[in-house]
This record gives sequence, C-alpha cells and structure tokens, in this order.
Amino acid sequence: MKKLLAVTSCPTGIAHTYMAAESLLKMAEEKGVPLKVEKRGALGVEDELTLEEIAEAHAIILAADTDVLESRFAGKPIIKVGVAEGIRNPAGLIEQALAKEAAQAQAAAPMQEQAKKEGSSVRTGAYKHLMTGVSNMLPLVVAGGIIIAISFIFGITAFQEEGTLPAALMSIGGGAAFALMIPILSGFIAFSIADRIGLAPGLVGGMLASQLGAGFLGGIISGFLAGYVAKWLRHAIKLPKSLEGIKPILIIPVLSTLIVGLMMVYVVGTPVKTLMDILTTWLTGLNSTNAILLGLLLGAMMAFDMGGPLNKAAYTFAVGLLASQVYGPMAAVMAAGMTPPLGLWLATVIRKNKFSKEERDAGKVAGVMGLAFITEGAIPFAAADPLRVIPGTVLGSAVAGALSMVFGATLQAPHGGAFVLAIPNAVTHLGAYAAAIVIGSVVTAVTVSLLKKSKPTAA
Amino acid sequence: MSSQTLLNIETIILDSSASDRKAVIKELAERLQAAGYLNDETAFLASVEAREQHASTGIGFGVAIPHGKSAGVIKPGLAFARLAQPIDWGSLDGKPVTSIILLAIPESDAGKEHLRILASVSRKLIHESFRQELLDGQSAADILETLESAL
Repeated sequence: MKKLLAVTSCPTGIAHTYMAAESLLKMAEEKGVPLKVEKRGALGVEDELTLEEIAEAHAIILAADTDVLESRFAGKPIIKVGVAEGIRNPAGLIEQALAKEAAQAQAAAPMQEQAKKEGSSVRTGAYKHLMTGVSNMLPLVVAGGIIIAISFIFGITAFQEEGTLPAALMSIGGGAAFALMIPILSGFIAFSIADRIGLAPGLVGGMLASQLGAGFLGGIISGFLAGYVAKWLRHAIKLPKSLEGIKPILIIPVLSTLIVGLMMVYVVGTPVKTLMDILTTWLTGLNSTNAILLGLLLGAMMAFDMGGPLNKAAYTFAVGLLASQVYGPMAAVMAAGMTPPLGLWLATVIRKNKFSKEERDAGKVAGVMGLAFITEGAIPFAAADPLRVIPGTVLGSAVAGALSMVFGATLQAPHGGAFVLAIPNAVTHLGAYAAAIVIGSVVTAVTVSLLKKSKPTAA
Repeated sequence: MSSQTLLNIETIILDSSASDRKAVIKELAERLQAAGYLNDETAFLASVEAREQHASTGIGFGVAIPHGKSAGVIKPGLAFARLAQPIDWGSLDGKPVTSIILLAIPESDAGKEHLRILASVSRKLIHESFRQELLDGQSAADILETLESAL
C-alpha cells in the first residue's frame, strides 16, 4: 500500500492549517489511501511525522505557507503547494502524490530486486546511508587528489620545501581536503540515518577514525554508530515539555558525541593500534623468507583498507626498509597502491553499465590519482560497495605486488607514482614494473566487473 | 471550558440583516453581553477588530470565525449569526460569507483552549454536511446542536 504524508501550516495557525489537514484526510479516506498529516499551527506541532514514517512514505504533500523543516524530506518526492490548495484541491494533490510514487517506483525497482536477491530488506536502507556519505565525500576526494597530483608535477619532493607553491598544494590537498574525507563520509552516513542530529557525532566519529588510523572502514563504522545512537537518544530521552527545547540543542549533541567518541577511542581505536603493531612486527620477521609471498601480502594489505591499519602497516614497513637500502618492497607497495584507482577507472571504462554516471566520472579522476599513487581515489568506490569492490582491489594489488617482487623492481622514493618513473634510476626494471601495475589493474577491473551488479540504465 | 457554558441559545441569530462585517460582529457582541459573557463590549469589539486587521478570519466556504481575547470578557462564549444577504469578508477563497461564528475569550485565559475550539470548528467546515446544517438549521436549537457537535 502506498503511504502518503502531508504537512499543513499557515501564518496565523488558527484555521487553515487544520482545514487543509482535514480536507486531505477526508479525501484520503474516500480514496482508501493511508495518510498522516502533521499540523503546524498556533497549537504547536501536532502529529509530528517520525523519521520512520518519512522513510516509509512514498511521497509527501506540503500544503504550507510557512517553513515546515523541509530538509527532513530530502530525497523524497514532494508536492509543494500553498495551504489554500490543500483545502481546495485535496483530490488533485493526492493523485499527484500517488503518480509521483509510480514514477519513483520504476526507478527504484531494480534496486529492490537486488535487495531481495541478497535476502535482506535492510540493505537498501544501509545502502542509501552509505551512498549519502560517499556522494558527499566524493568532491573532497577529487579536489584533494588532483591538487596533490599537481604538486607532484613540480617534482615529487617539491612539496617538502616549506613556503613553496607545491607545499601549499600539498597542504590544501593532503592536509585539508583528504583530512576532511573520512569525517564527511561518516558525518553524512549519520545524517542520512538520523537527520541533522546525526551530523555532529558522525563528523566527530569520522575525525577520530581518521586520527586513530582506522581509515574509511572505521569511518563507515563511526557513521552508522553515530546515526543510530543519535536516533536512539531522540526516542529514548523523555523530558517534560518545558525542557523539550534543550533536547536537540544540548542533550542529544553532547550525549551522542560523547558515546560515539568514547566508542571510537576505546572500542575501535585500541584494537586498530594493536593490530598495526602486530602487523609491523610480523612483516619485519617475514622479510627474508619469500619475496613473492611478501609482495602478495603487501599488495593485498595496501588495497584492503586504503588508508586503514593494514594499508598503513604495509606502507610504513616498506618506507622503513628504504633506510636499510632495501628497495624491493617499496616498489611492490607503490605498485599495489596505484592499482586500485587505476583498476576501478578501467572497470568504469570496460563495463559502463555497472556504474552510475557519477561513478563513471569519478572513475576518470581515479585514473589520474592512480597514476600519482593516490590510493584514496578508490575509496568512493570501495565505500559505496565494499563487499564487491574490496575483493577486486585486493586481488589486483596482490598480483601487482607479487609481480613487482618477481621482476626484481626496486624503488627508492616513498611516493610519486608515475611521476617517479620518469626520474632516471629511481626505479629499476622500469618496463617490467609498469607491466606489473598494468596487469594488477586489469585483474582489479575484471574482478570488480564480474562481482558488480548491473545498474539500471536510468542511473 | 465546557460546551454547555460556551454555547447559549440566546447568542444564536438565524436571519441577521447586517450588511457589513462590523455590523454583524456588533450584533453578536450585544447578544454575548446580554447573555452575561461580557462586561465591556467596547473593549471586546476592539480586540476582535484588531484581530481582523491582522488577517481576515474569513476562512472560506462562506464562513468567518472572528474572535477576540479581552479583559471585557467574563467567561468564554460563542455566538453564531446567519446572514440573510452574504457579505464580503476578504476570505481566502474569495467567497462571500453567510455564517459567522464569533468567539469571546477572557484575557485571563492563559491556555490554548480557544485555539483548540477554532481548530476544531475549522476542521468541521471541510465536511459539507456540517456546512449544510449551519445553512439549513430551522431553529436556534438546531444550530446549537450542530455547533455542539463541532466542539
């Protein structure tokens, strides 16, 4: 059954708010359409719509001449008219709302089918929250990545000179844009779940995930945590009417941020740090055993969490070896770090129908970032669909890492991507090394293409 | 504020010959004064007029709900008038007004009970049967019964 919602309001809030509400309710009853109407009049807000109801609703009718907190309905089909229209033309408004629903249902159908296949109706909800986070994070990834790549054009170590333009570019791209990436991902996942009250704990949780080295996977965890904590607090805290006003501005922000923050620091942060320490020690012990195995492992770690503890442990390990004049693992790590965004770019090119327009555009940018060894270019893809994308990136990077070790490639610089390749003697076995990166990218592209479901053509 | 004390058969006028807004409000206020709801008709009328200046109470469907909150009101009261000739009230739907429901609220009334009454009457107006009963009522007692159902 198509459920509809409506909000009515008028400037004086004495009569028309209630007349429009009654008019719509009466017509809905005649048509047999379930309808709930929130009335915002001089008596205050009556029958306030809950987030669950908004999530379930097929369309929302706003018959209002004043502000009705429209941001609550982001992403929902809305019919917006004055309060007079609500009184005069309830039948037309309800028909319009039902018709909107029909158009919406067509576009949403493939996604619902997908959810059914996965045997879970919750997934569409979680998927929606994830996508809200990813699409808000994406501009930061693009801006940050490209600006960092521009700084490499001046030479791969040019940014280390303080006060220069490359240094400024690095602090804009790396220090600011990339630093905001995970907080925004986390914040908007929480916003999608709990509306405005989710944003603060979500941003803070994401910032902590970032600072604690938990990466984007940590940011996804903090986003969901913040969203559901904020939502739960809103329902769980009951205050006398006179104190109700301080709930959204004082109590929920403080409690939700505190709960999420403490959980991130103690429940997520501590194990992440322990994990990194263990991995680093373990890798050091593994060093001399088997070159191919080491390359495979470093590659897989680089691509698994892209900035999280596994990635950091692998990278730190390789950089540490540079001091001991061991250059092989560094080459493997960079190849494996370039492969995920390059492979995903390739995937968006060879399998256009598996990606949305937005993702295909992001793919081009990811390609550029891949060339510059900015693994973060792959995060929007991985965060949006972790279960299908991460296996692909891990496989491709593991192959690239192992091949790099097999070919005996070495690298003396800890970053720079394709920019390093142009520097004489920075990389040995250049041709074979490039081949390792290409092969790894193809493996990622093919794997992701096979795992990903087709998108509806409308997307 | 029960409907028994709010409504009074003495404050219902079935065929008013008033030809403009102020005249019909004055006629209704006199009835409220006579029935013991008001002790200062002038003050009450001023509060009703002030409300009309703020925004018209012509809420459409040929009905207006003027109201005033004033120290000149002793206890909450409701008066009703049906006009022989519809008059203009600056209504939202542009239609002239035939039925007028005047609400008197004491200054001391801190609650929002009168708003609830107005909201309740407003909702009822959406139902054609209610509007028709207000137009068709043959006696003050009929109208009283209809209004009672709306509160």
